Amino acid sequence: MDTMDLGILDIGEAEFYSGSGGFAGLRYKGEDYSHIILRRIMPMQEPFSYISVADHDNKEIGILKAVDDLPDNQRNIVLTELDNRYYSPEVLEVVSVQDKLGYVYMELRLKNKRDIEYRKSCAIKDVSRNIRMLSDTSVIIFDVDGNRYIVSDLKRLSRQSMRKLDAYLF
Amino acid sequence: MKEERYVPEYMHLAFAANGVPVKDLHFAIHTDMTLDGDFSDAYVAVDSENLYILYGVERVVKVEDARRLVAQYDTHEVVTHRLEDLGELKTETLLSTCRLVANNNGEERLVLLFTLGHQSFVDRLVKVVKNIRKDEPPLHEIRLEDALFCPDCGTRYPEADRALCPKCSDKMSIFFRLLGFFKYYKGKVAACTFVMFLITGMQILAPYVGTRLFIDDVLQYDGRFYRMVGLIVLVIILVRVMATAFQMLYQVVLAKTMPWIIYDLQLRIFEAMQRLSVSFYTSKRTGSLMNRIGRDSRNIYWFFVDGLPFIILNLILFVGIFAVMFMLEWRLALICLAIIPFAGVMFYILMKFFQRFHHKFWVINSQLNNMVSDSVNGQRVIKAFAREGEESGRFATASHKQAGIQIGMANLGWTAFPLIYLFLFFGQVAVTTIGAMMVIDGHITLGVFLTFLAYLGMLYGPLQFMSTVSNWWARCVDAAQRVFEVIDAKAEVAEPKNPVQLETIKGDIKVKDVWFQYEPAIPILKGLNLEISAGKSLGIVGKTGSGKSTLANLIARLYDPNEGKIYVDGVDVKNLPLQQLRANIGIVSQDIYLFIGSIADNIRYARPDATIEEVIWAAKMASAHEFIVNLPDAYETRVGAGGQDLSGGEKQRLSIARTIIQNPKILILDEATAAMDTETEGKIQTALNKLQADRTTIAIAHRMSTLKDVDSLAVIRKGRVVETGTHLELMKKKGEYHKLYTIQLEGLKVISMD
Repeated sequence: MDTMDLGILDIGEAEFYSGSGGFAGLRYKGEDYSHIILRRIMPMQEPFSYISVADHDNKEIGILKAVDDLPDNQRNIVLTELDNRYYSPEVLEVVSVQDKLGYVYMELRLKNKRDIEYRKSCAIKDVSRNIRMLSDTSVIIFDVDGNRYIVSDLKRLSRQSMRKLDAYLF
Repeated sequence: MKEERYVPEYMHLAFAANGVPVKDLHFAIHTDMTLDGDFSDAYVAVDSENLYILYGVERVVKVEDARRLVAQYDTHEVVTHRLEDLGELKTETLLSTCRLVANNNGEERLVLLFTLGHQSFVDRLVKVVKNIRKDEPPLHEIRLEDALFCPDCGTRYPEADRALCPKCSDKMSIFFRLLGFFKYYKGKVAACTFVMFLITGMQILAPYVGTRLFIDDVLQYDGRFYRMVGLIVLVIILVRVMATAFQMLYQVVLAKTMPWIIYDLQLRIFEAMQRLSVSFYTSKRTGSLMNRIGRDSRNIYWFFVDGLPFIILNLILFVGIFAVMFMLEWRLALICLAIIPFAGVMFYILMKFFQRFHHKFWVINSQLNNMVSDSVNGQRVIKAFAREGEESGRFATASHKQAGIQIGMANLGWTAFPLIYLFLFFGQVAVTTIGAMMVIDGHITLGVFLTFLAYLGMLYGPLQFMSTVSNWWARCVDAAQRVFEVIDAKAEVAEPKNPVQLETIKGDIKVKDVWFQYEPAIPILKGLNLEISAGKSLGIVGKTGSGKSTLANLIARLYDPNEGKIYVDGVDVKNLPLQQLRANIGIVSQDIYLFIGSIADNIRYARPDATIEEVIWAAKMASAHEFIVNLPDAYETRVGAGGQDLSGGEKQRLSIARTIIQNPKILILDEATAAMDTETEGKIQTALNKLQADRTTIAIAHRMSTLKDVDSLAVIRKGRVVETGTHLELMKKKGEYHKLYTIQLEGLKVISMD
């Protein structure tokens, strides 16, 4: 196990930057990758650790072990890129739930990453597959478009919201 | 050229307010994110010169005098891109978001970020820009919003390819359409309904005869039938016998009607499924199509057999009982009328709770079933890794949850039902008290009073039944909705309106500038060109995912190209009758399907009238005869689900024999020997070589050694043909083919050294 080479990025030699085209880039060991792809290896359990970094041709450059190891400016670039890929606003309230014609229609009050609240109506099909418990206290909801909504702590939901959601939690 | 544009009114106003020359706009869409990844309303529009993006907040407000809600837009930022500067546009799918990327001579730029739900709109925008650049009408082949939004209320359909509006879906219209299946059985349905009325009449009549008539008219001194006990007992028996006879008659009529209606329904679903294109079956929505159709038909069946008749029966009974109660004593009936709605609401709420429990129970039960199935199928792995304890633990956790749900359900039942019945009992006590006082005061007779109480008891049944009906009804409508979706679906690969019938097909194939994508924005073929003369063979090589099998699917018209044309004998395949085209194309792939039936039936699937001699000849040609005669029932061995197990190589040889019987002019061999060992591959290759004689053959293979006998080769890379020529020509060229060939050869050397 000692010789295990995961291709962990050497932070000392890595510099994440925001390129002119609006894409995240990486300078690493003398190479400049202007359009990188960042993917979470363990998206649910380790959202900010073990980030696979690939070049534009989808060839892995290495694995970023922890986002927190990066300097502030680089961390923000990586976090923005991850947020954009794994866009999943936080559910603050389940405003209404309606079962109709095989779909569950939910109106959710959500919060985006700048803490701005907004409401969204979504349709969920096959609730047993698309409303999933991530842990005993967190839930992920997938709507028919593939959008994701997260309840990171069920205890923070109001009793009314919990009652509406409870029928679909397993 | 007709001026075409699509800019919704509310966007029109927003763009105009921000100085965008709206009269020139061709197309506009609504997306939902900023480039920073924040939620925002973004309006995007395009004219012949520019792409405009408005970022801001859309508010839906009610305006006086307006019939509908109106969108108001507060703009935060306006971005204008010159189309010329943007270059080529394409959408890229991330995980739960997508982005629109512009590529101007290798210089990439991020133009838009949006959630997945908006991808189809942005794809249309990209297509509009392409049309503008090609100088075609901007909205050429663009599906407009009306197909995605409910035309009545403007609500977006939950699924883009399923025109079902949750707000406007009229459950009654679906129900009436379902009733349409009854139209051929009008007489029987009328008979059923009539008998049902008679049954209900008898049920309502029974307490009147047995109590009111008996007490007031037979036992009372001044009664109309005083002392005529024998007569009234005869009437009671008669009513009961007639009720039983009507019940039997009803069951007989129902049994003779319902199976035929379900037969019609199933037949129409099955016929519709045969008509649909392959893409319908491969789309993400139809993964469990078979299961859905089976369950949906059953749900509809049960609703019509077990649900609807009893709904009608209970409704008539309910109304009938109330009517008789009012006739007997309207004051007591009014008291009941005050109690019953409360009881109805309580039953309804209780049923909602039960539904939740049932749903949870159903899900956990499926999880347990899956675990058992996993455990049975994976026993070797479980034992090899010594994970028996953990597997038992997993099962115990889920089972514990199930027990909790069952306890909850039981607790609810034990407490709620007695409480409701207690409430009803209080109502009954009230009616009894007031009724008894009315008897004492001489307002009503004892017979009327007791009959009234009997009717009151009879009301609970329909009341409890009706509270469960909503769930039943919803399930049936949902099922019917899906069934009609299949029946109404249009085949993407359609039969030509004016087909060109060729006398015979020779087998010349020409593929011209073909573009194709399974998923939006992910083209598999990108302007592919190929030509094969009749009777010649062409080998197609390329890496996995380069588009080889897609090309085969397009030639056989299992799909239609998005752009470009495919010609057979100089005729666009879209203009050839599907029957003629497919009868002349034989596909042997590694994906083999054997139908339930005998080996002989499977071999003559394409031509059921083939003689047994032809079947044996085809099997011999396919090197299959030898293994077939070794099976216990030889050519009559049953294969397919539940039949004789055959190896991959054996199945493959049967599929080749099937193609030999079909005798097609064009033969497509799609990785036909990919999963075979060397010996089996040798046998199959011999069979294939015999099959190829005098036919146009397209052989797709990953292993290049299997293509050594073809007339020419084409190398496909990323959806395009990059090289063509014979093996020797391509090896001399030292290009892509040489590279692939060398890699494979090196790989084989390493394996042989090992």
